[in-house]
Amino acid sequence: MGNRITIPFGSQHVALPEPIKFVFQTENERITSVEVDVGYVHRGIEKACQTKFKYTQVGYVVARVCGLCSISHTLAYVTAVERLMEVEVPKRALYLRLIVSELDRVHSHLLAMGHTAEVAGYENLFMQTFRYRETVMELLELLTGNRVQYDYACIGGVNRDVTPEVAKTLKERLKELKEKCLWIKDVFENDLTLKYRWKGVGVVTKEMAKEFNVVGPPARAAGLETDCRAEFNYLPFDEVGYKMVVRKGGDIYDRNLVRAYEVLNSIEMVENALDSLPQGEIKVPVKGLPDGESFVRVEAPRGELFYYVKGSKKLVLDRVRIRVPTFANIPVMKELFIGMDYSDVPATVISFDPCLSCTAR
Amino acid sequence: MDLKKFRSKSPWLLHYNTGSCNGCDIEILACLAPKYDLERFGILNRGNPKQSDVLIVTGPVTKRARERLIRLYLEMPEPKVVVAVGACACTGGVFRHMYNVLNGVDKVIPVDVYVPGCAARPEAIIDGVVKALEILERKRKDFVPPKVCKNLEVKEPVNRKFFLEKCLGVKNGS
Ligand code: SF4
Repeated sequence: MGNRITIPFGSQHVALPEPIKFVFQTENERITSVEVDVGYVHRGIEKACQTKFKYTQVGYVVARVCGLCSISHTLAYVTAVERLMEVEVPKRALYLRLIVSELDRVHSHLLAMGHTAEVAGYENLFMQTFRYRETVMELLELLTGNRVQYDYACIGGVNRDVTPEVAKTLKERLKELKEKCLWIKDVFENDLTLKYRWKGVGVVTKEMAKEFNVVGPPARAAGLETDCRAEFNYLPFDEVGYKMVVRKGGDIYDRNLVRAYEVLNSIEMVENALDSLPQGEIKVPVKGLPDGESFVRVEAPRGELFYYVKGSKKLVLDRVRIRVPTFANIPVMKELFIGMDYSDVPATVISFDPCLSCTAR
Repeated sequence: MDLKKFRSKSPWLLHYNTGSCNGCDIEILACLAPKYDLERFGILNRGNPKQSDVLIVTGPVTKRARERLIRLYLEMPEPKVVVAVGACACTGGVFRHMYNVLNGVDKVIPVDVYVPGCAARPEAIIDGVVKALEILERKRKDFVPPKVCKNLEVKEPVNRKFFLEKCLGVKNGS
């Protein structure tokens, strides 16, 4: 029987950008139980999508579920409605969507990696990662016109075309970015201190990952081969050289490496897509009203994003259901915490890259 | 040197997310990162309300965040300024009139500077904070410090009402 201490963590905390509340019960620094409260940012988006907004507007509303993966949300919704209404999307639009969603993945992964580095005490690495992330943000701004909320995809295509000059600049800057990302990957893979800090901490085994249905980079780091880009056909990933990154360790170190390799793969894919960009329309007009139901799985930067849409020949949809990756990862997080040292908690939480705006909606 | 000088030269930020989509939060993070470098103005992002001068709020105020926002605001020492970042914090933005949302931040606490945009650009945020610093300066000039109690020598335990009456020099109720 040791020292029993209750440690509240949040909802407003120095290390947390988002309001989440943990209450840890610890015994001699070891956690015995944990309570999580994530509902501080609930806004009621699902309800509003079913009552207030027309189905053509919902794409722009669900982008505001989360600023980090806004394109994934729009993409999922738009794809679901297109499948309902049997719209044939032009090839060029699909390629453009792919480019933006992969660039979005790059910036999100870099943010996650930088944040983990900061939590481990590597302020400098955090700053460097953020500096390199700015390159992606500039590219995205060049391509879509905004830094965070792109509103790029719309029902029937995309909202904005890419001109040859922009494509040329993109290619040049991507080359630059690739070198920087290689450097980051090198640091995350070979730095001795980081290895000591992260190897064997917060291990999710393959069995655990299977049992708790982990998604995204944590699952791939644990050796589970799951990726919606390979499993669900929503964009032409296999045409541009998609490779699945799987590692065995399942600890914080491997999770970061999965992200680092995925960043490189994404950059490659964008380069290939830019090289083989088909000509033609970027948008087709859409007529009629959605009738029936459909679901879509999309690989957001954090994992599988699931959308269910149901309409019945009305302007307003009957049901929009969103299941986000963080929601799928919370059970395994809770399981991991119990028996862990309190000092490892921040690094583990951040290495899962939780997004509470998505979870609470 | 006194505290006043430090407060004008090195204001500290407190950032609270009352229900935003993270879009504006990462832009604030980007402001602190090397490219925009808000820290060059001596501005530091700290999480402690008791040491902060500028409160940055992002997102529409959800019903659960309301209480926390008020508490954070009250815990900050006077004078203080509030910056609402993003369309959501200004008016509610796309979340206006959803069932769990109280629209803009100014429904709950007074706001000094509004930074529009969805998401607000880092340049705009920096402009907003610099503007807030001017307001902070002005507020400090015409700031009337609250009435300080006279020290009382208490020999025996007194009840609170009696104590207040004596130290403020007023009869209660007058
Ligand atoms: S203004 Fe836009 S980016 Fe900012 S929190 Fe609101 S929806 Fe998100």
